Amino acid sequence: MKIAVAGKGGVGKTTVSGTVARSLARAGHDVLALDADANPMLGVSLGVGPEETDRLAAVRQAIDEGEMEHQRTIDELIDGCGTDAPDGVRLVVVSRIDRADPPCP
Amino acid sequence: MVAGTAARLLARRGHRVLCLDSDLMPGLARSLGLGGGADVASPLGDAAERGEDGRWRLKKGVGPVRAVRRYAAVAPDGVQLLQSGKLPPEGTAAIMSSLQAYYKVVHRLPRARTFADWAMVGDLPAGPRQAASNWAPFAETFLILVEPTWQSALTARRVARVVRSREGSGTVSLVANKVAEPTDVGRVEELVGEAVVGAIPADERVREAERAGAALLDHDPSSPAARAIERLVDELASGVPPRAIASAK
Repeated sequence: MKIAVAGKGGVGKTTVSGTVARSLARAGHDVLALDADANPMLGVSLGVGPEETDRLAAVRQAIDEGEMEHQRTIDELIDGCGTDAPDGVRLVVVSRIDRADPPCP
Repeated sequence: MVAGTAARLLARRGHRVLCLDSDLMPGLARSLGLGGGADVASPLGDAAERGEDGRWRLKKGVGPVRAVRRYAAVAPDGVQLLQSGKLPPEGTAAIMSSLQAYYKVVHRLPRARTFADWAMVGDLPAGPRQAASNWAPFAETFLILVEPTWQSALTARRVARVVRSREGSGTVSLVANKVAEPTDVGRVEELVGEAVVGAIPADERVREAERAGAALLDHDPSSPAARAIERLVDELASGVPPRAIASAK
């Protein structure tokens, strides 16, 4: 099954996403949790911990800063950019906004 | 809720107030007491056009003064509300002209002499995206609201980092929100790593107002949260003209 959780800010999307992901993992499913929020917090709900969530290397920034090569396949991306969360959930953070955009030329 | 309440309180203290709503989701109009009818999908839709080079531009004759005069709604206490637009079922492409016009207008506001002595209160959506994209160039102060939770604290850190990374941007002030325990303010300061300038209590009257879609000042102006926002506004207003931006969660 493939699930996307949406809704207004503050309604509990991330808490529901993290809890559903871990519940599915406990039920025996292989679970990939994708945090597509530009302000990623899914790691906290999954139990990775707040500091680790804040530290998680976001894919785009890591590539921009030359710390990572572009991954050739989806599997490589999940292996190379993901993090293990409790109950065996694999967490991938899509992006993170860390600084102001440069002004338009 | 804080932005709308602060805007009306500033107006009651004699300031001319322009409220700037760049959140694609509804909320500020109700917090101001305008009700849901003021949530227009594309309020500035006819203020911008594409040039021959494909770039968006304000139509001839449309600047900040005319934009406010023509497109702003008037809320209780005389607050003017300029909105970027609300997300329609068709998606943001359907309101792109309004979003482009709003963005260009707010970038001209700091140089508009007409508004030099106005108070401006902006309401940004949750998270760092709009702060990063400079949707509030008029702001001299960024108020970042923080609840005593890790998620909220991490968001506050990120928004503060983004604001401070822009040269010449406003200062950052943190406000603890939904404070329920005596230790909550200290917890917020510990989690974020810096001091707060004010605290707003968790208040059932706020929840009631939000459920009813009403302004807090209309629902219960003497509620603990309203009183706390009043104290915050008085501190902000001690620097004239007060220009604030509230970014929640």
